[in-house]
Amino acid sequence: MHVLMMSLYAAIAAVVLAAVDPKSDTTRQRLIHGLKIFGSFLGIGLLLSWVLFPVPW
Amino acid sequence: MQPRDGLTNDIAPNYAGGSFAFDEPRPVSFSRRAAAVVGAWLVPGAGHLLLGRYGRAALFFITITGAFVLGLSLDGRLFWPTAAEPPTAFHFDLITVLWFLAQIGSGLCYLVSYAFGFGTRPHPEAATFEYGNTFMFLAGLLNYLVVHDAFDIAAGRKR
Repeated sequence: MHVLMMSLYAAIAAVVLAAVDPKSDTTRQRLIHGLKIFGSFLGIGLLLSWVLFPVPW
Repeated sequence: MQPRDGLTNDIAPNYAGGSFAFDEPRPVSFSRRAAAVVGAWLVPGAGHLLLGRYGRAALFFITITGAFVLGLSLDGRLFWPTAAEPPTAFHFDLITVLWFLAQIGSGLCYLVSYAFGFGTRPHPEAATFEYGNTFMFLAGLLNYLVVHDAFDIAAGRKR
């Protein structure tokens, strides 16, 4: 459930952030930028969850 | 000197250095700019629709409105500024002010939900309560970016 919600969150944020990116002029550039954002969200989220897993509070 | 027509007057300020590209972004009138910004806040994507960016308008409407509706369906709640307890100099509980500012970014999504009573009764016992709140914050905060993007397009700073 949590991973699904995180993926949905990342997808929505990535779509909008890629679409408003001022440096991307073509659809292909926006697509690549969006995939990078999506991957970053998921990657950093999983990394943080792995690092914070032993923390008891 | 040749008399200027409307088109010449319109493009003359953009002509510099002997080169002129007709596909350069150009600012729109103040009233259209204001309508785009207010429209973008009220309905996600409406600002881009007014500026002729139909694809992006549809994308923003679907993603941002979808995030807000998803948040409501996951038992998220609407926040509004409440009085601090114990009373402080600011009077309001700061975190509720910040959450309210995040959610009100989604414009009519928030206002219509509030008017119809959706999300006004919190269900913190629901397993998805925090997920719902997070999606509603996301919708509002992303819409602020979309409003800014609509302003940039209207001001001729980007396509």
